[in-house]
Amino acid sequence: MTIAVLFFVLFACMFMGMPIAVALGLSSVTTILLFSNDSLASIALKLFEATSEHYTLLAIPFFILSSAFLSTGGVAKRLINFAVDSVGHIRGGLAMASVMACMLFAAVSGSSPATVAAIGTIVIAGMVRAGYPQAFAAGVIANAGTLGILIPPSIVMLVYAAATEVSASRMFMAGFIPGLMMGLILMVAIYIVARIKGLPSQPFPGFRALAKSGLIALGGLMLIIIVLGSIYGGIASPTEAAAVAAVYGYLIAVMGYRDIGPLKNVPWRHEGEALPKAVVRNTVQMLLAFPKSSFDPEVRKTILDAAKVSMMLLFIIANAMLFAHVLTTERIPHTIAEQIIAWGLPAWGFLIVMNILLLIAGNFMEPSAILLIMAPILFPIATQLGIDPIHLGIIMVVNMEIGMLTPPVGLNLFVTAGITGQNMVWVIKACLPWLCLLLGFLMLITYVPQISLFLPEYIDHLKGY
Amino acid sequence: MVRNLVTKLEEGFLSLLLVSMTLLVFAEVVARFGFNAGIHWAQEVTLLIAAWFVLFGASYGVKVGAHIGVDVFVKMLPSGPHRFFTLLAVALCLVYCGLFLYGSWIYLSKMKMIGIELEDLPVPKWIPMTILVIGFVLLIVRFLQLGWKVVTRQADGFHFADEAEESMELANELKETAIGSDAANNDQPKENKK
Amino acid sequence: AVAAPVEIKFSHVVAENTPKGQMALKFKELVEARLPGKVEVKVFPNSQLFGDNKVLEAMLLGDVQMAAPSLSKFQKYTKKLQIFDLPFLFKDMDAVERFQNGPEGQELLGSLRKKGLVGLGYLHNGMKQLSASQPLKTPADAAGKKFRIMTSDVLQAQFEAVDAVPLKKPFSEVFTLLQTKAIDGQENTWSNIFSKKFFEVQPYITESNHGVLDYLVVTSAEFWMGLDDDLKAEIQKALNEAIKYGNGIAAEKADSDKQKIIASKRSEVLELTDAERAQWVEAMRPVWKQFESEIGADQIKAAEAANN
Ligand code: NA
Ligand code: NA
Repeated sequence: MTIAVLFFVLFACMFMGMPIAVALGLSSVTTILLFSNDSLASIALKLFEATSEHYTLLAIPFFILSSAFLSTGGVAKRLINFAVDSVGHIRGGLAMASVMACMLFAAVSGSSPATVAAIGTIVIAGMVRAGYPQAFAAGVIANAGTLGILIPPSIVMLVYAAATEVSASRMFMAGFIPGLMMGLILMVAIYIVARIKGLPSQPFPGFRALAKSGLIALGGLMLIIIVLGSIYGGIASPTEAAAVAAVYGYLIAVMGYRDIGPLKNVPWRHEGEALPKAVVRNTVQMLLAFPKSSFDPEVRKTILDAAKVSMMLLFIIANAMLFAHVLTTERIPHTIAEQIIAWGLPAWGFLIVMNILLLIAGNFMEPSAILLIMAPILFPIATQLGIDPIHLGIIMVVNMEIGMLTPPVGLNLFVTAGITGQNMVWVIKACLPWLCLLLGFLMLITYVPQISLFLPEYIDHLKGY
Repeated sequence: MVRNLVTKLEEGFLSLLLVSMTLLVFAEVVARFGFNAGIHWAQEVTLLIAAWFVLFGASYGVKVGAHIGVDVFVKMLPSGPHRFFTLLAVALCLVYCGLFLYGSWIYLSKMKMIGIELEDLPVPKWIPMTILVIGFVLLIVRFLQLGWKVVTRQADGFHFADEAEESMELANELKETAIGSDAANNDQPKENKK
Repeated sequence: AVAAPVEIKFSHVVAENTPKGQMALKFKELVEARLPGKVEVKVFPNSQLFGDNKVLEAMLLGDVQMAAPSLSKFQKYTKKLQIFDLPFLFKDMDAVERFQNGPEGQELLGSLRKKGLVGLGYLHNGMKQLSASQPLKTPADAAGKKFRIMTSDVLQAQFEAVDAVPLKKPFSEVFTLLQTKAIDGQENTWSNIFSKKFFEVQPYITESNHGVLDYLVVTSAEFWMGLDDDLKAEIQKALNEAIKYGNGIAAEKADSDKQKIIASKRSEVLELTDAERAQWVEAMRPVWKQFESEIGADQIKAAEAANN
């Protein structure tokens, strides 16, 4: 009865178009008022606890802020140039380079739609001009863009870590190999299609040009080193590393590349300017740029955009914690778990059921919301069946990747439709063949846990734990 | 004019909260790694700022349509039922706010009565908690405004500016800057020569 | 008409197989057997209801009736309980027990009254040890090192007394920070060092026994005063037995966890000579003076006396 009311109110509210956060909160409060004698005051306390006692969750606004600075344009373009110089000379190279650019961008951004938008805008048009069918280009990018949440850092993984209390840094490590693998699978598939269809390739620019574009892209690539380096180098916890990444994102976008902010269009060195003079001028200008930034409309807009998205996510998470609170106090996961265990499913059978459940949820909902609702239910069952929590997390993340590409709610579909100016049906058709690839990959990840677990376990082993 | 000023203040305050939270955590890392020192109040203050950020921001999110939801189903309905369900949803949002406002008020009054201080700062604990009440009052105001807009046909829903739309904005900006230079080609882009 | 049973929600933050979890279940068993139909106890482990920082507030709102946070969590409700954080005040758990059961210790149970809480009894976790990435033999070894502490003014002063850097970090971050050596060390009981796997990332543990980490079982004054006297007596009796049971498990566990840590060979356990120990005591002793006015000189004297 309690379960029925809780879920009925939740879905009724959601399908009425209410914000997911409010739907989660309202269904929880209703259930508490109807079925328990907890006071409204303690529910308010619980909400305050959810917003003010979860330090680990702060990595979310920090990574979003960092990603906002890096998405301002320049970083994406430089990564694409580097990718094209590296693999553009292979047959179908431009498409492969686009996948590589998505992988590189995924490694600095925590979000999939952001990856599609940042890379897709530039490369889809480029591929069409180079003679690729538009549907082919759009399908490749929409799929490769999903890597944004599989290759660390990843907002979705942080949400999972928060919901289940597994280590965020181990989750990040676990996403690395699957992310690279999915990228390679896409590239191989592109190569095969390119051989069959005779798709074009670019001339190799030479190692000097490759080194140069690599050097120029370094500012963006450094972020990967900064995040992972500061976690594993004993400087910061994952949450703190996210704050460091945000500060770095600001520095590289405003002070380094100068794509936005008070130093926009100010060159590092004027033509014919003496080096000492340039050094002094830049130092003074950069020092002045810090206070100037707080009045700069572009910098302010970047921060405000990040604030909007992170506030929205954290508000959902806070309400989802209330929801999880109701789930546990009413022992709902236990009931469902007992039910599923009563079916006598072996681990592999449970994994199939779970994947189907997540794929269906992925049709309608946004990844963080799905994880926050489903993880507390699925986690205890999986643990009982002996499934590693980290492995479970990666399976869930891959499911969420697929959810980004399935109608009616699929963030990557929306972005791709926007970029190409095509309708949704066209985009869905364009993505379909690649989506099948992703489904195959999901099977691989589900039944070969070593793909996810190898790296975190190897690192633990290296350190002698 | 006034409305514009309110918006500016809201946006400024929200951004300030996010930036100070980030810088505080960053400062902790610098203090610990660079100067072998701790900032003993940093953790508590960071977390309180986080609470302010979320609870203050929620109402701003309603105003600009930043909260995400599932609106594909109501959008399939003809305009009459669509409006009906949207108004019902807004009314339920107000119920949600009302319940939380009531609970927050009791919680806050009790905390004020007991009169304990924050762990690391000599500030009564109930003061930072006022954001619960402030936040839900603001949220009620925003939902009432939204409901009025739906009644007067200035709006037809919560207008979710979801992540996809955000990304589209970015895409459009990129498109504008990409015009003229074929970035997907092998040419080094022009700005590298700066 | 039959009155509905009194409901006691017991909220704690650890697993059911820990001494505290076992104590809570024992309490439930005893109360429900002796007061059938009159009192119902629901135990919520693993912070399912509230974390340690909010549970006391929830108790004051009347939504939780019992909890057992560690004694340091009460510093904003009363300064008196800070006595348990003072370094090198108690020589061993027997001394702690003698003090807690003596008149001064029992008096402290009432120190939360003004804030609407009633202490019902002390539950042991154990004596604290120091762990670090480098061996700590003398206070000089700790100088300049970063130690994670729980939020507590006394613990902060304790580490500052040996020129170490006390850092507050949420429990969820501590393991990673210790693992990557962003923080050098921490203090905890044998059973926490074992169950939180700190021994896997801290190569040296100094058996310092420098402090005590105990819990206080509390209830709200409003709830407690609302009970009939005989019901109250019965509940208190059951609780005392459950605490005794829990303390027994805690003592065994402290010992067996210590042995498991030694057997794992991941961490070396260092013992202090009398001379080394004296150095630590001398370095940290000024902390007593610092907090004497808040805690009360008589209390400290009584605690010292419990060592003999
Ligand atoms: Na990523
Ligand atoms: Na979907």
